[in-house]
Amino acid sequence: MNKQTQDSPIVEVQKMSKNFGTTQVLKNVDLKVQPSEVMCLIGPSGSGKSTLLRCIAFLEQYSSGNIYIEGEMLGYNDDTDIRKLTSTNELNHVRRNMGMVFQQFNLWPHMTALGNVTEALVRVKKLSRREADEKGHAILKKVGLAERALHYPAQLSGGQQQRVAIARSLAMEPSVMLFDEPTSALDPELVGEVLQVMKDLAKDGMTMIVVTHEMGFAAQVADTVVFLDQGEILMKGSPKEIFQGEKPPRLEQFLKNYMDRNAFWE
Amino acid sequence: MMTFDAQLILNHLPDIASGFGITILCTLIACFIAMLLGLVVALGLMSKAKILRYPVRLYVEIIRGTPFLIQLFLLYYGGPSIGLYLEPIEAGIFALACNGSAYYAELFRAGFNAIPKGQLDAAKIIGLSRLQIIVRIQIPQMMVLIIPGLVNVSIILGKETAILSIVTVPELAFVLIGIGAETYAYAETLTVLAVSYLILAELTSRFGGWTEKRLSKYMERSI
Amino acid sequence: MLDFSTLLPALPVLWEGVQMTVLLSISALTLGLIIGTIMCTARLSNSTPLRILTKLYVSFFRGVPLLVQLMLSYYCLPLIGINTPALPTAIVCVGLCSSAYITEILRGGFQSLSPGQKESAIMVGLNRLQIVAFIELPQVIRLTIPALINEAIILVKASSLISVIGIVELTRVTQNLAASNFQPFEFYLTAALVYFILNSTISVLGLWVERRINSRSIV
Ligand SMILES: Nc1ncnc2c1ncn2[C@@H]1O[C@H](COP(=O)(O)OP(=O)(O)OP(=O)(O)O)[C@@H](O)[C@H]1O
Ligand SMILES: [Mg+2]
Repeated sequence: MNKQTQDSPIVEVQKMSKNFGTTQVLKNVDLKVQPSEVMCLIGPSGSGKSTLLRCIAFLEQYSSGNIYIEGEMLGYNDDTDIRKLTSTNELNHVRRNMGMVFQQFNLWPHMTALGNVTEALVRVKKLSRREADEKGHAILKKVGLAERALHYPAQLSGGQQQRVAIARSLAMEPSVMLFDEPTSALDPELVGEVLQVMKDLAKDGMTMIVVTHEMGFAAQVADTVVFLDQGEILMKGSPKEIFQGEKPPRLEQFLKNYMDRNAFWE
Repeated sequence: MMTFDAQLILNHLPDIASGFGITILCTLIACFIAMLLGLVVALGLMSKAKILRYPVRLYVEIIRGTPFLIQLFLLYYGGPSIGLYLEPIEAGIFALACNGSAYYAELFRAGFNAIPKGQLDAAKIIGLSRLQIIVRIQIPQMMVLIIPGLVNVSIILGKETAILSIVTVPELAFVLIGIGAETYAYAETLTVLAVSYLILAELTSRFGGWTEKRLSKYMERSI
Repeated sequence: MLDFSTLLPALPVLWEGVQMTVLLSISALTLGLIIGTIMCTARLSNSTPLRILTKLYVSFFRGVPLLVQLMLSYYCLPLIGINTPALPTAIVCVGLCSSAYITEILRGGFQSLSPGQKESAIMVGLNRLQIVAFIELPQVIRLTIPALINEAIILVKASSLISVIGIVELTRVTQNLAASNFQPFEFYLTAALVYFILNSTISVLGLWVERRINSRSIV
């Protein structure tokens, strides 16, 4: 996986901080995600992984620093000295490049799988119902759910629901996909099918930022692994560097805990 | 000894039927207006602007903190003092609708809040507008969630129509109590009256159950 | 123009009305709580006839307007030889009506407890009565306090209907004053305000009780 380091990252985070009230949960985060790069965010619970991802999606307003999506400033107008929120239109314009998949799937339960996938195609992209359905079927097929198109979320397994959620995002043809622990709410035997879809996506060249506790996935698929601890990036590197090289004690401890938890045979 | 004179009821059947019709009409119209008004009030209650939210909150609290009878008297007897001259039936429906709107509004608000935040995040990130999110994601789910509550409030409003008899709206209670006063056949008239309301309540709740079943066939009940 | 100057001389009469309303409400609520608890026990019992009877009881009192119930007891009880004075009749009537709602509130509370709790209580050897008294009831009270407070407010409002059978409480007093002064708007507005204050007091008290109860158990 040799990536030419070109100078137009899809996502760029500069010195970004985030406070909830008086507590700072992200401190001076710097990140660059190149086209087709797969970046995995790992770190202990409460370290701010979800918050970072939600800031990149502007579901949370970041407090200082900058975030650029494909070169466009996210969420704020920065022409003047005083920072002002952009209009919803502008925000949606920048957001159009992003898809996001959540831990809890967040499917809309009153719509079928196909309905979930086509909703934004019809309402936002203004496709005709027929075009949207066609496209929806094609994408559902891609995630292996061709025959489940007319099922409602409640009639699908967790793994299937999460694949519908991925399809829903993919339908909008984003240039980067954000995943927040997409397999953490799944039964162990269903994790594989979702990871497989994500691996296929990576192979097809999708740019992805993935918060995960699946170290195997990070080791196999990621180009870059970022270790976040108490709101700060402690280490950033290739999977090899992170998992096998020299590392700060906090990361050492984190990985050791992970190994202990998953070891069932000594 | 108490006897039941069915013939007396049969003799007055046309009057009773017309009273029944007016009861149903008042209930339907009042419920309809109250729901529309309630939706607006609910949006006001959830507004971020205090200048909107506080007065709407006060409206809801006042309606819910005072008896319907007083609201009705204020509107019907007190209305002329502020230039509001209403027929009994107009005052009755208007008072009922205002009364119901406060209760429906609280239901709507609770329903909106019961929808998991994550779903709205998912809708936002995919680019749906605020209005599209309300219309396509929130309202359909909220409606299913709150059907039992809607049915309850509607039944209560239906029963409140009996109070309209006090300001001489010729609905069912007015008609039957009138016949009772004329003939002293209170046992017959009041029994018929009670049974009619029981039937109405039962029908409303059946209708609600049926709608709920139809709508929620595929909905996750756990949301 | 609105003119509130006649209000001042009317205050003592209004105050008497308020007292009557409060007295009526408290008596009816007490009655409602007692009967409601009994009915709820029957409603949740294993005996089918008891369950059906309580269900009918609840449907009747919740399905028929209170106004009609009042009329029934006022006009029809004498027909079968029961000649109670108007005041106790009214209190019992309102109390029974509210007991039906209280039954359902309590039932909802009991049924919302997870069966696992009961099972683990059985497994550690508590008996039925102990389970109800120490495991279920404390939780049910905590869960249903808001609904019960709400029921109290509904009851105060419902008590205004008692005016139609001639009992001189707040609404009836107001009617008399409004008619004799030819100032319906002013007096009904005042009555609305008084009811609002009464009910706000209940709701503030309720919040206080709720907080007290919640602070003494896990959040
Ligand atoms: N809306 C909020 N208000 C206040 N504090 C918050 C909020 N959301 C998150 N936090 C805090 O920010 C910190 C980071 O939370 P975050 O959810 O980003 O962690 P995480 O790394 O995703 O953890 P996990 O692995 O458990 O999902 C936590 O200490 C959390 O308590
Ligand atoms: Mg998280």
